[in-house]
Order: sequence, then structure tokens, then C-alpha cells
Amino acid sequence: MDVSFRKIDIDQYEEDVLLDNELYEADPRDPTQVLNDTKQKGAAVHSSLSKGDIQGALELVLSDAPYGPNVEEAKNLNLQTLVTILNSTKATEIPGVVKSLSQDSQDTLMKYLYKGMGLPGWGDVSGSVLLGWHEKLTEVAGTGCIVRAMTDRRVV
Amino acid sequence: MSAPEVFNLGQTPITSHAFNADRSRVAVSLNSNDVTIFDRQRNDWTPTETLSEHDKLITSIDWAPNSNRIVTSAQDRNAYVWQQTPDPQTGHMIWKPTLVLLRINRAATFVKWSPNEDKFAVASGARAIAICSFDPEGDWWVSRLLKKPIRSTILSVDWHPNNVLLAAGGADMKARVFSAYIKDVDKRPVPTVWGEKLPFNTLCGDYTSPSGGWVHSVGFSPSGDVLAFAAHDSSITVVYPGSQAIYHIRMTTLPLVTLTWTSEEAIVAAGHDCQPFVFSGNEGGWQLIGTLDDANANKASGRSGFGGPASPVGRLQSSAFNTFRNADSRGSSNSNATESELFTVHQNTITNIRPYDGVPGAVSRISSSGVDGKLVVWDVSAVSPISVGGLAGKVGGMSLR
Amino acid sequence: MSNVLRPYLAAVRSTLTAALTLQDFSSQIVERHNKPEVEVGASKEVLLNPLIISRNENERVLIEASVNSIRLSIKIKQADEIERILCHKFTRFMMQRAESFIVLRRKPVKGYDISFLITNNHTDTMLKHKIVDFIIQFMEEVDKEISEMKLSLNARARVVAESYLLAFAA
Repeated sequence: MDVSFRKIDIDQYEEDVLLDNELYEADPRDPTQVLNDTKQKGAAVHSSLSKGDIQGALELVLSDAPYGPNVEEAKNLNLQTLVTILNSTKATEIPGVVKSLSQDSQDTLMKYLYKGMGLPGWGDVSGSVLLGWHEKLTEVAGTGCIVRAMTDRRVV
Repeated sequence: MSAPEVFNLGQTPITSHAFNADRSRVAVSLNSNDVTIFDRQRNDWTPTETLSEHDKLITSIDWAPNSNRIVTSAQDRNAYVWQQTPDPQTGHMIWKPTLVLLRINRAATFVKWSPNEDKFAVASGARAIAICSFDPEGDWWVSRLLKKPIRSTILSVDWHPNNVLLAAGGADMKARVFSAYIKDVDKRPVPTVWGEKLPFNTLCGDYTSPSGGWVHSVGFSPSGDVLAFAAHDSSITVVYPGSQAIYHIRMTTLPLVTLTWTSEEAIVAAGHDCQPFVFSGNEGGWQLIGTLDDANANKASGRSGFGGPASPVGRLQSSAFNTFRNADSRGSSNSNATESELFTVHQNTITNIRPYDGVPGAVSRISSSGVDGKLVVWDVSAVSPISVGGLAGKVGGMSLR
Repeated sequence: MSNVLRPYLAAVRSTLTAALTLQDFSSQIVERHNKPEVEVGASKEVLLNPLIISRNENERVLIEASVNSIRLSIKIKQADEIERILCHKFTRFMMQRAESFIVLRRKPVKGYDISFLITNNHTDTMLKHKIVDFIIQFMEEVDKEISEMKLSLNARARVVAESYLLAFAA
């Protein structure tokens, strides 16, 4: 008797299931434009860094961060730019910089910190630098910021 | 400006509580299938009756103040309406359940009487809200289901003062306003900022928090023109549909799971931080102004509270904790009783806040119940201000020690 | 390296406190059931983004949270073959006795050495900050334990080898 029907996963055929991409607002820009924006921001950030303006560089890279499924390259590029900034900030300057970020930027920074820690050894990612930033950011933004990094479906 | 009254109702979490009209009795579910009714004896609450009809955990209780009826909902997909009737044999007043035909096929999560107490709304995991009204022919409550466009479990509902509109917040991260107009029960409602001519199941508004997060609690303001909801991204959102203004207040602390309006310009909300927070504002903007739990006063006045000593060491003797401690025996001994207590009155998440004293629009006291088994009555005006940095420091201080 | 331990544990502590915001949630898929949603994984909307906290490539903590449960997986530092064997035996010992640990999971998540499953029932009966303290203490102690075991292993091996080879010398 043919019992292979028992192995069919009927849940995959259910139409009314809530998909991941329905849970947040999709990025209105299209993927190539996002990539161009990110490259431009990268250039602007490098110039800010050479002038020593950590504050401005950070605000720039954290605003309009690319998120969503189609923009992998842009996301990686943005992460690389951010990691460069984080690595080049002195430990004593971190609290001041973090305090002056807007709430949106603080939430985005927290998301990037976790993304960076998920890829140890990728590019310039250094665990100790990220952990230092995480500690200072939690002191300022509190555990609420971490909760938002967990609930926000706009994964950077 | 009085200190909070603390009542320790047991060692088990209080899932839900509801007071009767004159606050002399409270119906409580202690994480079980039964409702226990406590009577107030001066400064203490003693259990008097138990209402057992449900097979599974009771998720929500509501007591209608004017008609003196209790409605309960549970994870067994049922809800019952309890009424006090004289017992034919003894003549005492006992609570008799009336059947409710909910027609849902998942657990019921939340229940609330409408302002006129002729309908109630039951939120469920079946992706629907059942609006129930009484059918005198069958002597039962029949329901109509609000289904579209709900995509997930509804966690909380609240009625508009006009008895027709209903706000619902769910696990699909949206707070919605529906019309729950039942033809034979309601008169045609006056147009409001939410819309006019609203047949059953019309969606009047759909809101979400920017960082997403399940909507744990929704509430209409006393006038009904403003909607507030608390979401899991540690934020509160206040919506003014008339002027299209939406204010998100992001907190640095853990998410809030319950809220209530104390006046048209003030909200009290509480959650995983174990203390009630007070927000105030108007159409121009909202902010967090403080907490009702003054940490310094608690530390100074000692931890015994008002309604009987809450013995922290007693809690630590539970067998689960002992096993934990044995497993933990490698580590240094951390058995200081004071260290294991939180500085707040509630020792665990606050799950329910309700108005206690005052009229809707000018609530003077609120009651809160939580996972630690405590029922606390707070004075709404006793607000201690907290700076944003101070709060993060306090929470951080507790955890980083 | 030890000055990275403190911020690492602080990061784990604050992330765990943020994740332990659990509440009861009965299953949307099966009626009258109440299951840890992080283990079922079927309803995407009740799961939260998993977060990784890592000190370096060899030491990581993965926290997967949901509405009524969280799963915490730890990858312990294993520098050489002996440490790998010791770690495997140590975690196996504990996981076989998972019931008395209450929050321990019987099998680790793929890619990690040990996993904990904390549900809303645990946070109802136990104090949340004490659960967090327990996990942090566990992480601190496990490294120490494995180093101690390795030292005592080497010491014992040396003593055994000496006494055995002494027979040939004499």
C-alpha cells in the first residue's frame, strides 16, 4: 500500500500563513539605488574620518541603513564602513559619541553591533572593539535598545 | 500622596484580576483553571468562593460594575458569564455560569465588557475576536466573529466609550480599531473621529510601531478620541486620528505589557520592569514623566510592605530553586537575601493594571497584579521623576551589580 | 584577553535580560496546546531575531527568543584536542542530567556545545535576574573547570608515566 502521502508536509500548502516580509515596511528604494547610496556614503564617511569627525561619520553611515532581502552587497558594504569607524575611535571617546547619537541611530548601531558579532573574523571585525561599544551603548540606551534590535524585522 | 498598599495573594502568578463596583471583592485567577473571589477584611483579602468550570488555564477576567456579572475566558476555547443567583437549597447567593457560544477553535486570550455591559469582546488565538451579546430565547450568549484582516493571535482589546468601536492589538504587530456594531443591541452611533456609518467588521484604523513588536495592550482615552498602545519594542504609541498625529515614546527599559488611561492627558503603563511608569502629554506631544514606584522609599521603609510580610527567603526555599542552587554549587555563594530582591514593590513582571478609584477621566488610584502573586494599589499622583540616564543606570546597576 | 571577558559577560547579561521578557502564549496551530514557540518555529511572527554575542571566533553565545521561550546556546573555547574531548565529556555529563538542571536542553543546537531552554513557566516560578546570574556564572565557571581538568589530567598522566618508567630505570 502506498503510504508516501504521510510524508507530505501539508503546512507548506497553507495559503493564509504570515510570511516574514509582511511583518515590516519594505525599503521603498530599489536595490541598485540602495547600492549606489551606500557607496556614496562610504566615500563621504572616509572623508569625514580623515578629518577626524567620528560623530558625523557615524551619523551618516547609520542613517537610511539598507535592510531587507535583496540588498546583500549594500548591507555588507555598509557594515564594512561602520566597522572601520568603530575600529578607529579611541576608547575614551566612545561614551561621548554614543550619547550624542539620535535614538534611531542608537537602535541601528545596536543592530550592526550584533550583526558584526555574528561574523567574527569577517573583514576587520574585532570582537573586543564591538564588545566595548556594546557596553557603552547599553549604558546610554538601556536594554530597550537591545529589545528593539530583537523585535525589529528590518534586519541590517 | 499615599504609599502603595501591597497585598500578597499567594506564591503563584496572578494571571488576571478584576474588582467589583465598590472594591470590596476581587476576582483573581492564580495561574489555574479556577477563579477565586477574595473578600476584603479590613487590610487583608481572604478567599471566599471558587468558580470552577474551565478545563484549562484562565487567561482573563472582567467584572461588570453595574450589572455585577463576571466574564472569564480560558485556553480551553470557552468563556463563561457568571451571575449571582440565590441557591435554591441554601438561599445563599452563589455564582452560576451561563454558556457562551464562542465558536473559536483556539484559546481565548483576553475578555472585556463593553461600557454598557450588554456585550463583551473575547480576543483569541484563532485570529478572530468574538463579540458576544445575550440571546434571551436560548438563555445563552451568542457571538459574531471579527476576522479580516487579523493575521495572528490577538493579545488585548479595549472598548470605545460609545459601545461600538473596539481597539485590538495582536501578535501580527498591529493595533487596529474595528467597529463591533451589533444590529439588535446597539443604536446607531454618533459619528466620531474614527468614522461614521460603521457596519460590523469595518476597519477604522491600523497602526504599528516603527520597530515592530507584538502589541501587548491597547487603550482608548476617556473621551475615545485617542488611542494608545504598548508594543514589545519597549515603546508606547499614542495616536490622534483627528489630527493624524502619532507619537512614539521609546523607552530605555524592558517592554510594557499593560496600560490604562488615568485622564485625558496621562497614561500609566507597566511591564517587565516591575514598576508602573507614568506618561503625560496632549495633542502636541507625549513623554515619560516618572514612575509610581519610589525606589528610595522602598529601601528605607523596609521590605515588609502592608499586607503581610513578603518573605523573600521563603520564596528561595522552593524545591526548584534549591535544585538550581545545587547545580550552581560550583560558583561563589550568593545567598544574601537582600541581593536577590529587586528594589521595586513587585518582584516580577506586572501583568495587569486597572483603574481602582475615581471616575473614568480622573482616576486617582490604580491596582496592579503581577507574576509574583502581589496585588498593589497605587496612588496615581505619587510620581517620582526619573531621568532617562538614571533609569538605564538603575536597571543596568541591578544587572551589572 | 581577560579584559575582554568582562564586557563579553556584560553583553550576554544585558542581552539575556532583554530576551527574558516572556509571557504565556498558547499555540496558534494546535488547539488546547501550549508549546515553547522557539522550539516549534512554525509561526514566524512570534519569533524574534536571533542575536549572536561573540568574543572571538571560538567563543560565541547565540540567543534565540520568542514570545514564550528563549534558547541560549554556548560555544565553549576549545584550543586543542584534549580540551575538545574534556568539553565534550563535561557537557555530555550535564546534558544527560538535564532534568535536574531544569533549564538545560538535552541536545545542543547545531554548531554549539551546550544549550539552555528557558520558558515562561521558569520565569514565573523563578526570579529572572537569578536565572541570568546563573547563566553568567555557568559561563565563567565552565572555562575554569575545563582548564582545571586539563591541568589535573596532565599532572596525573605525568605521575603515572613517571612511576611506570621508574620501573625500567631501576
